[in-house]
Amino acid sequence: MRGLIVKYGGPFSGMVAHVIQRVTGLLLLVYLFLHVRTIYALSQGPEAFDRAVGAFHNFFFKLLEIALLGAVILHALNGVRITLIDLGVGHERQRQLFWVWSIGLGGLIFLAGAIPLFISSILRH
Amino acid sequence: MANAAWWYIQRITGAALLILLIAHFWVEHFVSEALRRGDLTYAAIRARISNPTWQVIDIAFLLIALLHGLNGARNVILDFSRIGRAGARAATMILIVAGMVWAWWGIEAFKNLR
Amino acid sequence: MTYEIRVSRTEGTRSYQVELGNRMTVLDALFRIQSHLDSTLEFRCACRVGMCGTCAINVNRFPRLACRTRVSSLDSQVISLGPLPHLPVIRDLVVSLAPFFDQWKRVRPALRGTASSELAIIPPNPETSRKRDCITCGICFAACGIKATHADYLGPAAINRAFLRLKDPRDTAGMARLKVLNDEWSGVWRCHTQFNCTAACPKKINLTDTIVRLKRAMLRS
Repeated sequence: MRGLIVKYGGPFSGMVAHVIQRVTGLLLLVYLFLHVRTIYALSQGPEAFDRAVGAFHNFFFKLLEIALLGAVILHALNGVRITLIDLGVGHERQRQLFWVWSIGLGGLIFLAGAIPLFISSILRH
Repeated sequence: MANAAWWYIQRITGAALLILLIAHFWVEHFVSEALRRGDLTYAAIRARISNPTWQVIDIAFLLIALLHGLNGARNVILDFSRIGRAGARAATMILIVAGMVWAWWGIEAFKNLR
Repeated sequence: MTYEIRVSRTEGTRSYQVELGNRMTVLDALFRIQSHLDSTLEFRCACRVGMCGTCAINVNRFPRLACRTRVSSLDSQVISLGPLPHLPVIRDLVVSLAPFFDQWKRVRPALRGTASSELAIIPPNPETSRKRDCITCGICFAACGIKATHADYLGPAAINRAFLRLKDPRDTAGMARLKVLNDEWSGVWRCHTQFNCTAACPKKINLTDTIVRLKRAMLRS
């Protein structure tokens, strides 16, 4: 049994999509963990909550937030693509479906969100 | 049938999460001037999260996210036969316990706001 | 044209400079090497026309039939050859297909019909007509990203064969097959629509489609 990812001459859309879905999914789970733990501070009163949230008000976490946006968009759009495939739609065009829909459209939506986020963080910090 | 149900649930929760996520993002970042500025403080969100309807929606959102995320994690584990069938069962138990603790944290966040 | 053929052999990679015409196949290259350069090179072949599936190997890290791969189509004068992945290597490019056929047998691949005279006639069915061409070459098994990490997963070929039997109105072993297919650990649920199998199948069977149809069918049963 050799190799973890079957390799081809170039990036094969099916495998790239699978790995992206898995990696973003696990990253989002990690995020969810941090998020729920932070929001838990609500039960400890206004000062505790504001302190907990304030810890993330710096440039580094702003960058991570932008990365989070990217992860969500990729995972969601690719998830839609997977659901289409499961319904038997688009099998002949699954390569284009990945590159144009998941990556192309995903990239556009990401930029639409990431650029304002980035600019506002530069202005604030 | 149960296996097929989980496959189905993953897609349904996925679609639900997409909608809930957009709504959540809207409500937390665009609905008031303070939030639009990025001032995410207790004061800015107190009104919304003291409202029991919103609390129910938020908890439902968390539970759906946990269902989707932890089932996803479980599938990642199941794809590696090295762990063995028994190991997979143990991993499932751990994920279920983790999910329950996780959901508890989410629910308890509102305990002084009820 | 001179090609450099790098063969991943049991004792390590060996490089051979081989003169090949532009209509020649990888199988021709292997015969050239074995006849003129290195008679110890071991590989399998039989029909040499893409019907039997015996010569399946990894060509530039992609599983293909050696007899159906023209060297000119590879866009490179350096060609890497290796044994099919996910199968035990016997020697050089020769692998054992035992794990493949172990999965194949789990789905009861033969028709379990009744003692009826209609056994000789295959019922026409548009859903299955493009899926009958499987030559059990093992390429889908070797390409599958899940087979890379899961020793017990059925694999696309076995699932495809099970599908054909399930769609056959003369068959009576449907329940037993569904049970095997529905196993969460090793059945259809391990497939995540990577499409490796469909891309690699030399008979152009849409295996992902088969598996996805079965998943939808599981919902109803």
